[in-house]
Amino acid sequence: MDKMIPVDRLARPEDHILVPLDKIREARLDQGLTPFNAMPFEEDFLKARLHGICAGEFQAMEAAGRTLFDFPDAPWEFQLDMARQVWDESRHSEIYMKLLDYVGSYLGEFPESEVLWSCTQIDDPACRVAGINRGLEGLACDVFEQLIRMAQKMGDPVIERAVDYVLADEITHVRMGSKWMRKLTEGDAERLRKAQAFQDNIDNLFNFGGGRTTQEGAAQIKQRLGDREVEIDATLTIAREARLLAGFTNEEIERLIKGMGKSAAY
Amino acid sequence: MPDLGNRANVMGPQPIGPIKQPAPEMMAAIDRFLAVLMAGNPAEALAMTDERARDRVAQIAGAIKPGIYKEMHILGKARIVEHYFIKARLSGSRGESLTLQFRIGPEGGRWTVREAADLTNLRSAWTK
Repeated sequence: MDKMIPVDRLARPEDHILVPLDKIREARLDQGLTPFNAMPFEEDFLKARLHGICAGEFQAMEAAGRTLFDFPDAPWEFQLDMARQVWDESRHSEIYMKLLDYVGSYLGEFPESEVLWSCTQIDDPACRVAGINRGLEGLACDVFEQLIRMAQKMGDPVIERAVDYVLADEITHVRMGSKWMRKLTEGDAERLRKAQAFQDNIDNLFNFGGGRTTQEGAAQIKQRLGDREVEIDATLTIAREARLLAGFTNEEIERLIKGMGKSAAY
Repeated sequence: MPDLGNRANVMGPQPIGPIKQPAPEMMAAIDRFLAVLMAGNPAEALAMTDERARDRVAQIAGAIKPGIYKEMHILGKARIVEHYFIKARLSGSRGESLTLQFRIGPEGGRWTVREAADLTNLRSAWTK
């Protein structure tokens, strides 16, 4: 088996549509929409958000499995943590597939892109966990916390509780990433610097041009929900409380809010 | 626990939004696009193509010899709002096959192809 496989080597059924992220951007721009993700004022927002997360959970499961395979000389406890993460992500994938059913969607309704998998393309386990566990799973904490608050406003306990259950796992994944980034780079300042730089790149990639805000600072947008209207965040917020639970420092969170990236090991 | 809505069975999947069905006009346009490709009719295929995708569609359509492909199958479709990415395969009686992926969207009351890629012998549109 090859190591460090590119994204097009991931196994997918033939009926899945896989496209580079720039093709999705083109399709959105072609329709007069913002280039990145479905926005809260769009009809497809909830379906598309849950679909993006579901595809991300699949790739996270595959990424943890590949990390386990790609680094056979890593400490046994590291491998055990990665194996546990594969199991967690597989449950998350199932949960989100059921949530897609719940909102009248299905896996494959929207295309899948490669952007998360690009974070696996580095040949050092310290960088891998810095990027995936601290960068991407930190982002997952932000996305999930916001989704939980939206579900609360919508009065939807199914989404609220399902996502809360997944968030609890993501917090442990970030902590695992922090632990291994520190352990694997012990006594090697240059390796630590490279791992931090890799995470910074990923933080910047998902920073959306500094367009993320604090929960308190998020502009609100009205969303029609049956016979009533609810106000939900118009921007992707940063989940300070969840990130603190996951072990990010206040300084790191402030840097993210300012769109500066730059992560510190702790 | 808040009301979950008007549902007969609270234990199973509980759709709160309908699954969006593709427009019949779009499905008809896809069938027509694939049919004119199979027929080796580049001019008709280009008539259904947006300006930006003309070179690519001309290249794909120009390489198809009329009569080679006998069947067409839509393998998958995924949407971005109103635009759909379509993966389709043309098959011949002697094992020939051509796998295409293209994006189609509505424009002025008709459906036009906005981009196209030949995925034959590639694993996906991700393959560089």
